[in-house]
Amino acid sequence: MKKNMNLRAASAIGALALGTISATATTAEVDTERTIGLVVVSFYTSVYETKYMEECPRGLAIGNDEIWWKSLEPGIRDELTNGGDIEPVTGTRRAMSAKRGPNGEDVCAIPTIVQDPPHKTVQGSISYGMDLDGLSEGAATPKTCSHKNFTSPDGQAGIDNQMYRLLGCTFGWRDSGYVETNANGELIDTSQGVILIEVSDVDDKHNDGDVTVRMYRANDVFPKGAQGNVLPYASYRVHDIPGYGNAAKGRIVDGVLSTDPIEAFLPYYGNLTHSEIHLRDMRMELDLEASEDRAKGIIAGYRDVENFWSYFRKGGYMAVTGQFSCPSMYVAAHELADGYPDPETGECTALSSSYTIETIPAFIIRPEQDDLKTSEVIAMPDTMQLATRGE
Amino acid sequence: MTLSRRSFLRGTVAGSAVALGLPFLDCFLNDNGTALASGAPIPVRFGSWFWGLGHTPGRGIAMDGKPGITFLEETQPLVPHADDLNYFNAFNTPLDGRPSAVHFTGWVAAKTGNVPRTFGDTPEPTLDVIIADQIGSETRFRSLDLSSTGSARDSYTFRNSTSRNAADVSPLAFYQRVFGAGFVDPNQADFTPAPSVMVRSSVLSAVHEESKDFLRTLGASDRARMDEYFTSIRQLEHQLALQMEKPDVSEACGIPTPPPEGEVLGIEIDVVKNNHKLLTDILVMALACNQTRVFNMLYSQALSMVRRRGESFTHHTLTHEEPIDASLGYQREVAKLHVHSMEALATFIQAFKDIREGDGTLLDNTLIFANSDTGNSRVHSVDNIPVMMIGKAGGRLKTGMHIAGNGDPITRIGLTAMQVMGIPVERWGTGSIETTKTISEILV
Amino acid sequence: MIYLKNILRTVLLSAMAFTVSACGEDEPLTEGTEPKLRRLTEQQYRNSISDVFGGNIIVAGRFDPLERIDGLLALGASSATITPAALERYEAMARSIALQVVDEENRKVLVSCAPAASNTRDDACANTFISSVGKFLFRRPLTGSEQTLYTNLSGAGAEGLGDFYQGLGYGLTGLMVSPKFLYINETAAPAPDGLHQLDGYSKASRLSFLLWNTTPDAVLLDAAAAGELDTKDGLEKQFNRMMTSSRVEHGVASFFEDMLEFERFDILEKDPVIYPAFILNVTEDAKEQTLRTLTQVLIEDKSDYRDIFTTRKTFISGDLGPIYRVPIENPEGWMPYEFPEASPWAGIQTHLSFQALFSHPGKSSPTLRGQAVRESLLCQKIPEPPGDVDFADFNDDANQINKTARQRLDVHNKEASCAGCHKLMDPIGLAMETFDGAGQLRTTENGVKIDTSGELDGITYENAVGLGQALRQNASAPACFTNRLYAYGTGHSPTRSERQWMGYLEGKFAAAGYRVPELLMEMVLSDAFYRVVPPSLDTNTADAGIISAKETKL
Repeated sequence: MKKNMNLRAASAIGALALGTISATATTAEVDTERTIGLVVVSFYTSVYETKYMEECPRGLAIGNDEIWWKSLEPGIRDELTNGGDIEPVTGTRRAMSAKRGPNGEDVCAIPTIVQDPPHKTVQGSISYGMDLDGLSEGAATPKTCSHKNFTSPDGQAGIDNQMYRLLGCTFGWRDSGYVETNANGELIDTSQGVILIEVSDVDDKHNDGDVTVRMYRANDVFPKGAQGNVLPYASYRVHDIPGYGNAAKGRIVDGVLSTDPIEAFLPYYGNLTHSEIHLRDMRMELDLEASEDRAKGIIAGYRDVENFWSYFRKGGYMAVTGQFSCPSMYVAAHELADGYPDPETGECTALSSSYTIETIPAFIIRPEQDDLKTSEVIAMPDTMQLATRGE
Repeated sequence: MTLSRRSFLRGTVAGSAVALGLPFLDCFLNDNGTALASGAPIPVRFGSWFWGLGHTPGRGIAMDGKPGITFLEETQPLVPHADDLNYFNAFNTPLDGRPSAVHFTGWVAAKTGNVPRTFGDTPEPTLDVIIADQIGSETRFRSLDLSSTGSARDSYTFRNSTSRNAADVSPLAFYQRVFGAGFVDPNQADFTPAPSVMVRSSVLSAVHEESKDFLRTLGASDRARMDEYFTSIRQLEHQLALQMEKPDVSEACGIPTPPPEGEVLGIEIDVVKNNHKLLTDILVMALACNQTRVFNMLYSQALSMVRRRGESFTHHTLTHEEPIDASLGYQREVAKLHVHSMEALATFIQAFKDIREGDGTLLDNTLIFANSDTGNSRVHSVDNIPVMMIGKAGGRLKTGMHIAGNGDPITRIGLTAMQVMGIPVERWGTGSIETTKTISEILV
Repeated sequence: MIYLKNILRTVLLSAMAFTVSACGEDEPLTEGTEPKLRRLTEQQYRNSISDVFGGNIIVAGRFDPLERIDGLLALGASSATITPAALERYEAMARSIALQVVDEENRKVLVSCAPAASNTRDDACANTFISSVGKFLFRRPLTGSEQTLYTNLSGAGAEGLGDFYQGLGYGLTGLMVSPKFLYINETAAPAPDGLHQLDGYSKASRLSFLLWNTTPDAVLLDAAAAGELDTKDGLEKQFNRMMTSSRVEHGVASFFEDMLEFERFDILEKDPVIYPAFILNVTEDAKEQTLRTLTQVLIEDKSDYRDIFTTRKTFISGDLGPIYRVPIENPEGWMPYEFPEASPWAGIQTHLSFQALFSHPGKSSPTLRGQAVRESLLCQKIPEPPGDVDFADFNDDANQINKTARQRLDVHNKEASCAGCHKLMDPIGLAMETFDGAGQLRTTENGVKIDTSGELDGITYENAVGLGQALRQNASAPACFTNRLYAYGTGHSPTRSERQWMGYLEGKFAAAGYRVPELLMEMVLSDAFYRVVPPSLDTNTADAGIISAKETKL
């Protein structure tokens, strides 16, 4: 897919409202026979952990609060904690603790403004994810930068997952961590950032060599059952923002769906922040029959670093709850980037990534295909309080 | 201190007792705290409490012939109240050839003295209605009828098959009904009757007047229904009349805190017990403030649908479908739910005891007629239905006794209760359960 | 004396039997019954208030439940009383409504005249208001003395409260507390054939509550006043007018709500752990789905009544989408939907409403469902269970192997005292076992495939859809509907003397292809529908009640 830069610029001016299906769109009839509709109810960065943290021999990353705390004079520390009685960094102090630039700048908004100790990265050799560059070793290519590969837990070599390397030793992303658990809770509670996956042209739901996969942003809330669980087989209208709906070719083999690489923008909401995930060479591998009414799998691709970073610019408090340093991680993210080198600097601008998802069945109500501008990749409007796309 | 002129307005009821519609003040009492300064007794309240499915046979009260009540496993929650209640069992309900309508015949016979011919057949009033007819017209409410199950139909108080008292089920709504706009606070410093009350009263009077011509055009059964309508008008007029008088200050009476918002009604066990408690707390204060003298509380239906979340069974279906536990010898889950019923009764009794009144408590001046629908829920037996009389009925009852009926008709209990409440009745019931035999052992 | 009267009546009837009546030359003569006061149902009360005063008047409060007699709450209304607690609620409700009607905003629209002074009585204006409103509340013009009384009441109230409108509000309260409002009262009048029928206003009430479930509107009352309802043409004109209104859908829905026992929805509870999808909205929508289906099929489409057991046409809402697994284009509102050919859903007996209503909170119940089909849809009363059933034999370890309901219920067939009644119910309910206790689809229970085959009165079926076909062919179904509709409309169960007439009506229904609008017309234009016997009056006309000891008088 080629990006049409002009169209992106033009539409970025909030011309598209967050509304229902536009009046001009006609609704396609849902072909329940030849379509599988899915809605994502769980979305986590794929992080492989061992029981004794073997992948993090140097321990986990230091949190922003600790760095801030250590930078204070003892007298001030005393004052802030009533002589040690109260916890130093709680509530509003979380965000405050990020404002430790030389002139009080927020170091998450401007991560280059200070230099923090190096970020702790994963040293292990096993990871979830996919082989994105097709090479079993991470040698540099015109599209990629040199990096180490992982082996998947079930023995597949050549896994490219620099994002895991970046986040795997950060508390917030590990199993007990807060950042993504919280985000997933918010996803279910608020029905913001809901991803729909539509598999169409399906002749055989167990084995089909040629299907089409599209992903959309949902425009309806999750219906909940009495226990707060999301009900399967609900209907969701799609947002008519045409950035979504890119179609990928795929196939189903023994109930496992896989897709060919495309460029994708996925909605994301969590920790009170709207953003989106920009993935290039996005591929999906989803076991449609993992359990009754639940499909499980991964979405992998090259995550644009600045797009990744945009999530944290206004979320300084995440550096405390997630326990990392923004400057450290920002530097590490760029150092670890292994995809899409900048034509001028040669530095890679994207991180190979993998996200673990779970879905339940859904009916996707969308306009006729003609009404979707599937050939274009168009920017999200600023009205959504988004991070800017990295240029 | 003068008695309000209202105390002279109503004349006499049930013999010489002056029924005051007033909440109670100690200075009205004589030195013993058992009677008013004028010599008239503290009003005695009557109420019923119902639970479905009885006890597991052999686990309720021991038939050991010892003096006092021997509480077995399922009635343990009542032990703290042993001195306040009398327990009756081994009273039977001969059916005179009529079929036993399951979860119906038993309690209907116990409460109306009549064995129904079929399900739904209730030609006779429940004893609380007979009592309310006598003592209920003087207070703001003729009776207060409650159900913990969330359904207004779950109410075992009626005049006949077509005149049934629906239950209040929502604690919030019940609170508003008693302590909301129409409640006159006896402890308020100044009192001005709202002019609207007088107008409302005249509205009722006018409607009453112009409905009389209506009566002349109706057939017999419709006239009977209109009679009840007129009774209802009179009760409401009386209710308004009370609002136009300043009641005397009352120590026992206090406006309770309203129940919390966001109430949940239903038949899950926690919900039932919670609503039971909330409704009870409002009820006892309503009694202390003399808003009524007659009440009915249904904890669970005869076909008790009380259930636990996550279980596909209800209490009732369990009695039929749970296997008898080989080691215990009884149905384990059924027994647990029976215990819950007794816990609820204990809560109910305690709420009455928590209200001080005169020398004693509200319970001392109350008679609660508590019963179930069956002596053995698995087989729907209508014999040996457990019944209790709780409270001392203003000193008229001895308590702490276990009365085994030797197969006598269960109506003996209801007859005795009505007599204790001053109803001039010496014979009650129809067919084989007609009786004249008072249970004199419990009378003072 | 009464004995002689009966003889006389019988003689008269047989003499009349060959008299040609105005409609349906062969309509059998009926004796009629005494008119009975019918207490307004909650819906009738609300509709009346809404029609008289507009939809923005809030009616808050609880209504006492009605008893179900002979299968209908409407029959319970014919014997319902008003207890003290109930009157207390009615009075509060009436006051609340009245004070809204006369408040500063609403009075501009609802009170057509203005008083000379707003701080005291104005009998002329009060009189106008009372008379116009009273006509709709009492469903007939007020008598002179009623008029005077309520106008005086308003005036005295105005003086007592220093406010004309407040006073008017209390006069209006009185109208709404009167038994003449709270009860539908029907009056007998002489009929041309020497017997008695309902008077014009009573006919208007019957027509209005049957077709629209509300108080008669101005056109209907005017027609009554002009004597038009005493002619077949006049009745037909009103009938046709009312049938073209969308209000007839509500009227028909109200009937089915009664017949199908939908008041149970008020206390319906499903276990949230076992059936997490069954939330409150689902309950409400399930009821509406079935009612919309019925009115669409029977009134809009004018289909054969028996199609309700087989139709795949229905309506789905956003909240029902996940349960039925149907894509919903717009989650707000309702969309017409037809289940595909091979769908397990066909006929109202498969709808979520029926399945969920006649189950336990945590599991399905073939017996309850079978009983509901027999009693609600076929009007066949199942006897009560015997009191002395002992389940000891059935609760042994051997039962651990019973995995499906069919296996568990088989014990009913083995015990003689159970089999007689259960064989009427269980096979029907077992056909529906592929719907769990919340009406959701399942194919196995405890790992065993569910067998839904069975037989209904001689017709076999493989599943619930086939059961629908069997119901369609069951003669009791249309007969039951006719019976219920007539009872609902008249407030009494058909009597012995009406047997021939019911047979005739059922025949007409069949001849009309079981089209409900035609059955309604047949009924509404008949003599039987309005036939009454004058009530046996009390010759002692003394005041029935004790005069209340009132201290204050206005």
